[in-house]
Amino acid sequence: MEKSSALLDFARIWPVLAIVSMGWAADKPKAFDYHSVSGRPGNGEPTSRLEGESAFEPKGTSRVQGMKNFGPHWSGDAHLLWNGIDGEKMETSFTVPEPGEYALTLVLTLAPDYGVFRIRLNGKVAAEAVDLYAGRVEVGRPLPLGKFPLDQGPQAMSFELMGGNPKARKFRGKGYLLGLDYLELERTGEDPPPKDEPKVGPALSQTPSFKEVRPLLARHCFACHGDKEKVKGKINLKALVSRDHFLRTPELARKAHESVVLHEMPPEDEEQPGPAARRKIAAFLDSVVNQYARENAPLRPVVMRRMNRYEYNNAVRDLLELRGDVFPLPERVIRGDQHFNPASGRFPSEVTAGNRTLGKNQIEQHILTDVDPFAIDLQAEHGFNNQGEQLGTSTILLESLLKLGRSIVNSPEFDGYSGLSSSLLKEDREDMGNRLRPFLEKAFRQPAQEAVLARYSDYYRSEKKRTGSHAQAIKNVLSAVLASPKFIYFSEEKSKVEPRAPVSAHELAQRLGLFIWSSIPDEKLMESAASGRLLNSGELEKQVLRMLADRKSRALAENFARQWLRLDQLITAVPDFDRFNEYYSRIGCEQWKFGLQTMLEPLLLFESILVEDRSVMLLVDSNYAYRSDELQAWYANPAKPFGNKQNRNRFNTKVQKFRKRSLTTRREGGVMTTAAVLTMTSTPLRTSPIKRGSWVAGVLFNDPPPPPPDVVPEIEEDDRVLAAQGLTIRDRLKQHASDQACASCHAKIDPLGFALESFDPVGRWRQSYAKNVPVDASGKLFGDRPFSDVIEFKDIILENPESFMRPFGEHMLSYALGRELRVGDKAAVDEITRRALRDKGKFSSFVLAIAHSLPFRYKTNQESKGEPDEN
Amino acid sequence: MRTSMMGRRTFLRGAGATLALPFLEAAQPKAAKVSAPPTRMAFFYVPNGVAQKAWHPGDTGMEFALSPSLMPLEPVREKITLHTNLDRIKVPGTDGHAQASSCYLSSATPDELSPAGYPLKRTIDQVIADEAGKHTAFRSLELSCNSYRDNRESVYFDNISWYGHGHVARSMKDPQKVFRRLFAVDEHKANASVLDVILADAKDLQPKLGRLDRDKLGEYLESVRTVERQIERITKRQDDLAELELLEPGKLWTAMRRDEYVQVMGDLMILALQTDLTRVSTLMVAPERWDTPLAFHGVFDKPIRHHGWTHNQHKKEVLKDLEKLDLFHVEQFARLVAKMNAVKEGEGTLLDNVMFTMGSGLSSGMLHECTNLPTVIAGGAGGAVTPNQHLKHPEGTPIANLWLSMAKIMGLEKKRIGDSTGLLGNWLA
Repeated sequence: MEKSSALLDFARIWPVLAIVSMGWAADKPKAFDYHSVSGRPGNGEPTSRLEGESAFEPKGTSRVQGMKNFGPHWSGDAHLLWNGIDGEKMETSFTVPEPGEYALTLVLTLAPDYGVFRIRLNGKVAAEAVDLYAGRVEVGRPLPLGKFPLDQGPQAMSFELMGGNPKARKFRGKGYLLGLDYLELERTGEDPPPKDEPKVGPALSQTPSFKEVRPLLARHCFACHGDKEKVKGKINLKALVSRDHFLRTPELARKAHESVVLHEMPPEDEEQPGPAARRKIAAFLDSVVNQYARENAPLRPVVMRRMNRYEYNNAVRDLLELRGDVFPLPERVIRGDQHFNPASGRFPSEVTAGNRTLGKNQIEQHILTDVDPFAIDLQAEHGFNNQGEQLGTSTILLESLLKLGRSIVNSPEFDGYSGLSSSLLKEDREDMGNRLRPFLEKAFRQPAQEAVLARYSDYYRSEKKRTGSHAQAIKNVLSAVLASPKFIYFSEEKSKVEPRAPVSAHELAQRLGLFIWSSIPDEKLMESAASGRLLNSGELEKQVLRMLADRKSRALAENFARQWLRLDQLITAVPDFDRFNEYYSRIGCEQWKFGLQTMLEPLLLFESILVEDRSVMLLVDSNYAYRSDELQAWYANPAKPFGNKQNRNRFNTKVQKFRKRSLTTRREGGVMTTAAVLTMTSTPLRTSPIKRGSWVAGVLFNDPPPPPPDVVPEIEEDDRVLAAQGLTIRDRLKQHASDQACASCHAKIDPLGFALESFDPVGRWRQSYAKNVPVDASGKLFGDRPFSDVIEFKDIILENPESFMRPFGEHMLSYALGRELRVGDKAAVDEITRRALRDKGKFSSFVLAIAHSLPFRYKTNQESKGEPDEN
Repeated sequence: MRTSMMGRRTFLRGAGATLALPFLEAAQPKAAKVSAPPTRMAFFYVPNGVAQKAWHPGDTGMEFALSPSLMPLEPVREKITLHTNLDRIKVPGTDGHAQASSCYLSSATPDELSPAGYPLKRTIDQVIADEAGKHTAFRSLELSCNSYRDNRESVYFDNISWYGHGHVARSMKDPQKVFRRLFAVDEHKANASVLDVILADAKDLQPKLGRLDRDKLGEYLESVRTVERQIERITKRQDDLAELELLEPGKLWTAMRRDEYVQVMGDLMILALQTDLTRVSTLMVAPERWDTPLAFHGVFDKPIRHHGWTHNQHKKEVLKDLEKLDLFHVEQFARLVAKMNAVKEGEGTLLDNVMFTMGSGLSSGMLHECTNLPTVIAGGAGGAVTPNQHLKHPEGTPIANLWLSMAKIMGLEKKRIGDSTGLLGNWLA
């Protein structure tokens, strides 16, 4: 162990990648360098779209059908319609302007009398058994056909009717229909595609049957899950005697799929299925989940969300055109915003920033006095603090909101602080209803109804009479608006259609504003909604890119990333004051923590990825980091980070310069190995591989371990006490996990934490514990991938980008929707993952894919319960 | 216990929180002066259970000896009742601590699972406030001494009072804000003018919403109506409250020592009860689990992790610390009980007219046990109960029977609450 640690000190240096590591990785192909990805797609169309109704040659029964009556979702409001009987083909062609390799994505219409088709391009099968059945007429999800080298000129495309879904109704008693909305062509980059392009989900044709899989399950699973009277985890697989049985327990199928893929099951000490058998079981389970999601899973309803404190601040700032924040926000970790300019596409190499708890001297310059925010809403146990279900409104909260609204508009600084002082607050002869209309539409994100205009105009008149002042009366109107349910709730009109319906253009605008800006839509977005254009996918794409280029997109760092990384936990981390006194900026003063500036490092990395539109894989491993001088010293000189500086004011506690530093070792980089994360997942006197492991599992892999059982024997709180017994924390946990009750969970969590054992409780590198006992940071990831240290750990993730991109997309989708994800969201997550993988994890590709996803564009009627009982 | 009569002046200064509060006759509503003082109820919730051995007294009946953890109650032992063998239902599969706080006061049964997986419904304080709140400016008061600065746990760990499924009765943590809410009448009145407008907006929305959203809006509507009532009632009390010359707590709560914080919050609660601004109050002394170290100045020399300790109490030295912490909480409770006992009311004291319950949703935190929950009730409930005894109930008695009995004492005839099977006959006088 010591040997290999010594080796990596000089050998594992950027940009030399896994090639130098000695063992298994040596014969791997060169890994993709995710640093090469950057730059947001420009305003020009990133892809070229060929409309079914115009770009395809109609032959046979094909004809153009207007689709406006079915809803606003068809591109160009029309598609190319064809009908036929089994075995017949729709033959057509389209033209490619220049030769090259293209990625093709097809969008087809779904309906009750549409068939199952085999799609060929230039004679080659591009998709097998594409089922176009749906309970109602709707636009299908984009179907990627793959990449094709295409010559200039016409390309033959055919759709062969193979039959119909058993549920489908026949068209005119015999055949079925087909509707082609559009085909998207995208030139693939200059780079040759990587050899092992990860596949997302097995192709339909490869799906093994239940008959094939049952014997495998019997051999590898039944011993614990079926044969005995007492089944493990209450999961009885033996009782599921057909594919239909599995279909009735989709959540079980989902979990089973996950544990088979991640090698959690069968447990390590049991006989393991071979790779082919494992793939077969996984493919079967995945197909069950997909079929269920496709056919049955209604969308889980989004419960109407109340603004949380962060969203309220942003929304009020944007509505009242304030020059800055409404109140001090601890959520805004990085003080200072000059550096964040996404329109430039460049993140500066030096960022001057203060951090919230470093002192009261850095309170915001622009802030209204005597304005008291309402209390922060707590994060869900595994999720964000924006889940409608958990955002209650109580008497106390309403009182706070009422008072807050009043105190904002009546603050002595308000007139100089709000852009409204040059508009609404000025007296004018125009009719009050007309003057209020744009304001109320912006506030309520809806066209203003006459009754609402009249209500607020009346209120204005009565307040004008009472106070004798136009400005005061307007201010009172504003404060009423700020407490109105139409402002503080993100409500959507209930869908009358079973089980789901597209959101309206205004509702989509509202969802986008909340997702990307944590705020209300601006005028441009409202305009796009009012014209209905926003429902067109090209326009949606454009708006999302515009929103990402706006400074307000910083909310994704401040609100999403901070919560995703659970960085709040650093605030109250208390490394032992005597043992880690460097963590505190002055000796003898526990309030001043050096450690709090470490919180900026992962957030600045995230912001740089967002602004430069880089790959999210840099969150796993990056060759740069933003650090203050002190923070740099913390890593570079762990033994004595602050040299001989004694006692007082070892560094500036108000503001620091965080500079972009090229990293010289791959044990640094990404978020996982930052001092912030490593410190907050430690206890005061030792590291906690369990906490670190569950952080990695929950945050990086979105697979949080279940809550610990009732019987939780604590581990010694001080690693010196352990050392006195001749034990490392790793030894101690091994004893702990030998208890059968704990073993299966710990087998999953602990290795993730062991990978980080080379970092001490405040995140500094170490090769050995006290008394030169070497650190053992080796383990296995995903069940069968061995690593000897954190660098190899990162390599495994980089070589399996889906293992990080899929969970990242899930976290972000859950954030965007304000609810937990369930099996009904799987198809959406697959699609997001597909797009992200295609774009090498480019940040914008996640945001775009989520904006396009079905759960984001649809709402439910809230009458069904959401999903069948779990398990 | 230092007591000091300050005439009609009450100081609520963080540091001097040991001042006893004088009876504020002027603050009693007119009706109360002629009739008997009303019965009021309050809760003092302790998270993570208690160390069992040092808590439960051996003897029963009137002759019980106080256990080591309960010793601070010695000065008021004649006015307390100990209950043992009261249980709560636990539902497997979701977190034991979140259930302890959010399900404790409702004793909801497993068929009443909320979407988050916890059996939740209207808690007993809110059920009783439906009746008791008809007469007071505030239907109930929810207070918490959660001074953690991170947001580690979810809403379920942080609240014991719930209006219903997913509808939390949010608690207040800042004593200055509590003070202003109780006594700054003008701030309430200033809320009045917008209520009609926002209520009309809510009614616009209502018919357009789906089922779940309508429930959410229902929370808002209920809050608007409550605020409306509060304004009306607090305005009627304006004059007698003005006579009190109260001073707002001077010290910032974030700078308070742990005992100061608990006592100031307790003082505010007592003040609200004695002025009959409310008859129902909960005080959560700390949230459940929240494994962040927390300082207890003067008790432990370093910040401690209460939750971590509970799972480690098989070790002697840890158990000793845990018992020390329990003792601290009982001391805080006992000080508040003594303060209530120093407030003269009619022939007796405020304490004689309240039920002030100290309890936890867990008995032993070690195994997340929900049987034999620690339960101490101070006060005479206006003569409805006979204190100064230890009641050992038959094993397996639902604590919901206690809630049911409390409802009855507060004038509310309920057939069932949660998993209740009947009244606690041996407790009701």
